[in-house]
Amino acid sequence: MTTTTVSADAVEPAGEQRGDPLIRAHGVWKVFGPHAERIIGSPDADLPRGELREKTGCVAAVRDVSLEVWPGEVFVVMGLSGSGKSTLVRTLIRLIEPTAGAIEITGRDVIAATPAELRDLRRHAVSMIFQHFGLLAHRRVIDNVAFGLEVQGVPKSKRLERAAEMLRLVGLEDAANQFPDQLSGGMQQRVGVARAFAVDPKVMLYDEPFSALDPLIRRDMQDEVCRLQEETGKTMIFITHDLPEALRLGDRIAIMRDGRFVQVGTPEEVVGSPADEYVANFVRDIPRSHVLTLRWIMRDARPGEEDGPRLDVQTTVREAVPMIAANERPVCAVDGAKVVGVVDRDAVLQAIAGERD
Amino acid sequence: MSVAAERVATIPRPAANQWWRHRLVLVGAVIGALVIVYQAWSNGYQWPSALEWKSLSTGLDNFQTWLSDQQSSAHPNVVFSVLNGISTGLDDLVSWLATLFHDLTWAGTTALGVLVTLRFGGVRAGLWVMGAFLSFAAMGLWEDCVQTFALMFAAVILSLVVGMPLGVLAGRSDRFQRAITPVLDAMQIVPAFAYLMPIVILFSVGPGAAVITTMIYSVPPAVRITALGIRGVPANTVEAAAAMGATRLQMLAKVQLPLARKMLLLSVNQTILFALSMVVIAGLINTGQGLGSLVTNGLNTNPALALLAGAAIVIMAISIDRATEAMAERTDPARMHVTEAIRGRLRVATAATGAAIGLAVGIGYALDAGSAYTNVGGSPDWLQARLQSALDYVENPSTFVFSITSWIGNHLVEYGLQPLQNFFVETPAPVMLAGLTLIALLLSGLRPAVMTFAMLAVIGVVGEWGSAMDTASQVIVALVLTMIVAFPLGVWVAESARVATIVRPILDVLQTLPQLVYLIPFIYLMPVSIVPGIIAAVLYASPVVIRLVAAGIREVTPNTVEAAQAFGATRTQVLLKVKIPLARDAIMLGVNQGIIMVLAVVVIGGLVGSGGLGYEVAYGLQQGQFGPGVVASLAILALGIALDRVTRGNRRPRLEGNR
Ligand SMILES: Nc1ncnc2c1ncn2[C@@H]1O[C@H](COP(=O)(O)OP(=O)(O)OP(=O)(O)O)[C@@H](O)[C@H]1O
Ligand SMILES: [Mg+2]
Repeated sequence: MTTTTVSADAVEPAGEQRGDPLIRAHGVWKVFGPHAERIIGSPDADLPRGELREKTGCVAAVRDVSLEVWPGEVFVVMGLSGSGKSTLVRTLIRLIEPTAGAIEITGRDVIAATPAELRDLRRHAVSMIFQHFGLLAHRRVIDNVAFGLEVQGVPKSKRLERAAEMLRLVGLEDAANQFPDQLSGGMQQRVGVARAFAVDPKVMLYDEPFSALDPLIRRDMQDEVCRLQEETGKTMIFITHDLPEALRLGDRIAIMRDGRFVQVGTPEEVVGSPADEYVANFVRDIPRSHVLTLRWIMRDARPGEEDGPRLDVQTTVREAVPMIAANERPVCAVDGAKVVGVVDRDAVLQAIAGERD
Repeated sequence: MSVAAERVATIPRPAANQWWRHRLVLVGAVIGALVIVYQAWSNGYQWPSALEWKSLSTGLDNFQTWLSDQQSSAHPNVVFSVLNGISTGLDDLVSWLATLFHDLTWAGTTALGVLVTLRFGGVRAGLWVMGAFLSFAAMGLWEDCVQTFALMFAAVILSLVVGMPLGVLAGRSDRFQRAITPVLDAMQIVPAFAYLMPIVILFSVGPGAAVITTMIYSVPPAVRITALGIRGVPANTVEAAAAMGATRLQMLAKVQLPLARKMLLLSVNQTILFALSMVVIAGLINTGQGLGSLVTNGLNTNPALALLAGAAIVIMAISIDRATEAMAERTDPARMHVTEAIRGRLRVATAATGAAIGLAVGIGYALDAGSAYTNVGGSPDWLQARLQSALDYVENPSTFVFSITSWIGNHLVEYGLQPLQNFFVETPAPVMLAGLTLIALLLSGLRPAVMTFAMLAVIGVVGEWGSAMDTASQVIVALVLTMIVAFPLGVWVAESARVATIVRPILDVLQTLPQLVYLIPFIYLMPVSIVPGIIAAVLYASPVVIRLVAAGIREVTPNTVEAAQAFGATRTQVLLKVKIPLARDAIMLGVNQGIIMVLAVVVIGGLVGSGGLGYEVAYGLQQGQFGPGVVASLAILALGIALDRVTRGNRRPRLEGNR
């Protein structure tokens, strides 16, 4: 293979996720074009995109992607335009039929699912939020939010009640009787979010939900998602091409290029040790001190250092600077009550200096 | 929306400039060679009679005799009973509808039309409909209008019943769309005049045959626009619904149909207009009551009445167009913002409308109005007399008007029609055949050329070469005139917003008029028998060509224009060197559409003695000469396809809304 492929299951999840993954995808391919299935497994599969298209007329949008997402995790997929992010996320619920691969969501085999089973999965287990909202222009906001329940056959009064609750959740209770084209972009996407939450799914798929919004509103919406995530503990796959957004939201980030995952890791891993030139270019303008935590720069404590000033190991370097600057002694990084390492001035300076090279 | 607007939608991308100049030179060379051959060997070789299928006409006659024998026999054949069943079923449907309007009484019918339009289309549309009803009564044509409306209504309902489900299928499946598009194309290319005869043979004359004739023409727009509407529903909305687990049925009922609602209503609008334009021609085979037969019979016997009936049709077309278009606009759920409160109010309004209609029916009965309501205020006899005297004035050879029209007519014949007709008819048939095929090859490619060759060969084989070439020469003259009128106007419309606002409503009206209606005034204005058909054809085709040219020129991207201006090009230079060359595919499309529309009217000109294929069909219809009539119909069909292929250009059939 010309590009190194990193599969997500090779990397342990950050934090302390336990149990089985909620989403499991293995070796997923999507090739658009005639006789797409013949490409996979042939030498052509490894050709760069342009050459493949020249030779066969096919576009390999997703190539051999594997991922596992644990309950409550926010898994961010990022990459440049055309790298195959949208295609990947759609293959997960077969809005686009994958050409090859195995997919399992909440223990159900998505590939083998009958149309009815697939509908059931889409109705109850997974919700999606779209870049261009996809609201129904002929329905009121509240009817849009209730649409998922309507499709399930929930009686009218019940679904409207639930929809009203969801609108309160996203702060749009006053807009219930308006129509989508009367709302601003940010408000429309809130409706999209409320609609997705209305069916109380286990998994939320966000396909660049905020890229059509201006920066301030986008920030608002990111806060909103963080809040909802904390309140509801949903599992999310979040697509974006905006690195700050990815770093803010993601527990783990997968970097995608030409249909492949080139790196999967925590924000720190991606920023701290980019897997290749491509990823390094991506993260170059990110201030490392904002992302890296003490865990990333600490070293083992030498005897006698363990009673220094204490900071939580999750503290970012930037936040730690004042305390480290004020103390002669190395600062201890603690996980709970246990000292897991120490950070001295050199380490901090190196981490900050690394931003400029 | 305009009658041919959906065909306007396919403007192809421009091809390389060089390529075109090359082709046009070659086409010129081919024409030059043909002219030389014509000069040298005119009348040398006609279509070889060994290659004519002489028994075809008698064979068809025998078939017709066999069919009518079946009709009278005690145990008719299955095929015949099916055909007969269809035509009597349709007859019954039309007469049932007419009876329904009679039972509503004139007061009820008027209230129904006006109030329903008022409720769903607004005050302005309601006033149009009201005005239409008043004028029908004032012209003394109420009963005929009711008949025509019943016939059209039956045809429209059936067209929609057939066309909309097909359209929904075509909107949801690329494969089905690809399969059905050529069929729809063929249905629209074939001039109505060509299928009158076969239909008469199969279904005999009467309202049923008229409904079928109408449907052939009005089903395609129903299918096409419905499909366009379904495809026009934003893909991301459809995807979002699919992601929420909507079934196919839920998708259709809750997402696609409501969001396509406006287009669906526009497809109703177009279907009605197409149907109405055919109702007049259908009058040729539905000799009972109705405006159509008044026009077709009146052409020779009572011109004033024909003119009035034509006016009534025009009024009916315009008012129905306005009414349905307003309804489509105003009931679009994506823009209406119907909240619960508004919905309640709308329900009350609908109920009130229903009650008012009921009341009107009651009043109608109380007044014992009946529906045989003919004149209110104005006397139709008086009106007809006035019209007749105006016609007499126009036709009087000593008047000023006549001197102008006859001058135009004579010159057109002397310098345009006659030489061209000689050229087409007298150039040796094999050379002409080869030349036209070559032009098709140069302009449109291999496949169209093969098709052109095959179609022209069919014309020769059925023995219609001479008449077909006669018709072709008329078509070319009309096309050239159309381009002379429409091209500059189209450019002007594209260049000046002011001109556009003035011209657009006129084009709208012109496009809603039935083909035959164009013919009526010119029969009296133009004394030479070929000329009225040509003028009518020019008027009929011009609006569409103007629109295509204007759209093509306007579509040239502002970037390109800006770049040219940055180099200091003047307005005229930009127009001549940038816009027109880039718009040439649209212009070619205009030629293609124009030629088909021109052919449709030119053959109708056969009714007033323009000669050619149209005359043979008209004669066959009027004299019951089935064999020759069907043969001529076949030749019209073949000529239509050939002319379409020759002028198709390098336009590839492209699916709309297909990603
Ligand atoms: N229906 C399709 N047919 C053919 N090619 C497609 C189709 N959909 C996507 N592609 C191709 O697949 C590749 C990946 O597209 P995709 O939309 O997944 O990219 P993306 O990463 O979501 O980009 P963006 O950030 O612009 O949304 C692109 O090269 C695109 O051209
Ligand atoms: Mg995308």
